[in-house]
Amino acid sequence: MSEDNEKKLDRRKFIARAGKAAISLAAAGTVAYLVYDSKGPGPSTGVEEIVTLPDFTVSPQAGQTISIVKGPDRVKTVDKAIGLLGGIERFVKPGETVAIKPNVAFASPPMLGATANPELVAEVVRLCYSRGGAKKVYVTDNPINDPASCFRLSGIGKAASEANAEVVMPKDNLFKHTTLSGGRLIKDWPIFYEPFKNIDKLIGIAPVKDHHRSGASMSMKNWYGLLGGRRNIFHQDINTIIAELAMMVRPTLVILDGTTVMMTNGPTGGSASDLKRANTLIASCDMVAADSYGCSLLGLAVADLPYLAKAEKAGAGTTNYETLKPKFATVS
Amino acid sequence: MASAGRRAKVLESAISICLLALLFVTGVGIFIKQYNSDMSRFGIGTVTTVQPLQELQVISEEKPDLSSFVPAEFESLSETEVYQPVTLYEKINGKAPLYIEAGFEELSTKRFVDKNDESLWMELFVYDMGNVRNAFSVYSIQRRADADILSLFHTSFGYRTSNALYFVHSNYYVELVGSSESDELFKALIEVAQKIRSDLPVDDKTRIAELGFFPTENLVLESIKLYLANAFGFEGLTDTFTAKYNIEGETVTAFLSKRSEPKDAKMVVENYYNFLIDNGGVVKQAVNKVFEGKVMDFYGTTEIVFAVGQFVAGVHEAENQQAAEKAADILTNKLNNVMSNE
Repeated sequence: MSEDNEKKLDRRKFIARAGKAAISLAAAGTVAYLVYDSKGPGPSTGVEEIVTLPDFTVSPQAGQTISIVKGPDRVKTVDKAIGLLGGIERFVKPGETVAIKPNVAFASPPMLGATANPELVAEVVRLCYSRGGAKKVYVTDNPINDPASCFRLSGIGKAASEANAEVVMPKDNLFKHTTLSGGRLIKDWPIFYEPFKNIDKLIGIAPVKDHHRSGASMSMKNWYGLLGGRRNIFHQDINTIIAELAMMVRPTLVILDGTTVMMTNGPTGGSASDLKRANTLIASCDMVAADSYGCSLLGLAVADLPYLAKAEKAGAGTTNYETLKPKFATVS
Repeated sequence: MASAGRRAKVLESAISICLLALLFVTGVGIFIKQYNSDMSRFGIGTVTTVQPLQELQVISEEKPDLSSFVPAEFESLSETEVYQPVTLYEKINGKAPLYIEAGFEELSTKRFVDKNDESLWMELFVYDMGNVRNAFSVYSIQRRADADILSLFHTSFGYRTSNALYFVHSNYYVELVGSSESDELFKALIEVAQKIRSDLPVDDKTRIAELGFFPTENLVLESIKLYLANAFGFEGLTDTFTAKYNIEGETVTAFLSKRSEPKDAKMVVENYYNFLIDNGGVVKQAVNKVFEGKVMDFYGTTEIVFAVGQFVAGVHEAENQQAAEKAADILTNKLNNVMSNE
């Protein structure tokens, strides 16, 4: 402030100036308060409904939580593995609707093992209908690549249709936002929800694969296919997102297919030489236990995959699968 | 009057400070809000649920027409898809970081099917990695262990598996993946590879000098890999080449990385040495006195790290200490020769 101004400034002028400043400040604050949008711009102008996936689990039965069957023929091993847990009748009741969520992530031929095996998917569909008495079976996924190409080239679309399942492709209107209670990453996030909203049972089918980012892609990682939006950002915290997926999805049963295992260059692979025959198939009501056994097929220990311990800590299952007294069998 | 002026000055200063403080608090508030933004809504690109793939792709008119590389008996099974770093995950998901961290610029991909047999189809992946070092890096890291080298590839890098071809063509890393192990399909893949190599213009003058710095004696063929960053889990080891050696029945991994100055190499060696010690490494006595103080036991394996002029060099996770030291000795001699010839 200049000396001239100082001399001219009297109490009246000062109060007037201070008053104007206060009024300006108050006016600016009021306008800001009135236009403040606490939610920020959303993807749509409508009110977003926050949904939660239902719990599809069945009552536990001691000694019938996980089965591990050795054999080269997936149709035989999956029949046996589910049979050891009490048969499909334990999981699917007459008149129920079932959703099967295979890994259909890539537009890749079945021989490369980057997606669930089509014969295996078809067999589980058949079991649901023929022995479970299911009213309707849906086969669905939200693939990484173009969905139509993924279902077609993986052979899963055709195999599922031939087994009388209805293939459900992802569309914008099938997604809803969810928030995982206690979750750190899944907050107000779009998930592939509608196909699972009114079903009775949910079965996951995943191959055992190496994964560049997470170390392994198995039954827990399979639920990544339910995520919408810019889901790739979760790769920055892959262990947490896999653990949260295991908390978010409570399936009836998971089938982990280690008949051929993608040992290297996962999750896409690309060469038959990335695969190794392990002739092992796991059926489990506890997907943490299934993956804890499944990682051994990749030559990994439970400690090599931090998401397993995270999921266990969150109460999604146990890494100590032996405590569940797995049922073992071999079929030729 | 003077005291009134002073009081006014003090009051004005106080108000100014309050306003500045308010602005600061507002700034902090904005920062906190932005820091915790909802990425499903504010992430890069479109923010709604599932995104049609076409929306994420940019069709580049300047890029070569992939159809021109394919034999006449094949026709398009899909449109050409072009991915940039921000969209690459839409094609290869969890493997995208491997490419992006290696300098990936653009992927062009397209599927083709045999007109007479729809079970025979192929997918072409042409990754523009920006330069030959980047292309070599992703090629070498993913190289299948039991792959066959093709005579087609002479001096450059390439191999085949039962259903696919992989090769580096200057700044391009190319994957040609067949839907089956059919001989007929494989012949078509070879044709595509030859056409790409002859028709896709490249700068052939670029060479990777370090490939010649590894001693050839006992070197496992095609075992050299390039880690552009974070080699062996250590951030300081960038631009690091590894190679496998068969020494006295043991397989040993040697490594080297060239720095601009000898002092830089020494610093990296020191930092890596400390990194190993901090993570459980224990110094052990060297058999060859030259390596005294440079040999460590790391959870039952042997690590050796040393500097030769501008080079950081060593042996990584060897099962046998003697073989490790022998490999280190051979590598030291070779690097000394390189230094004297430069």
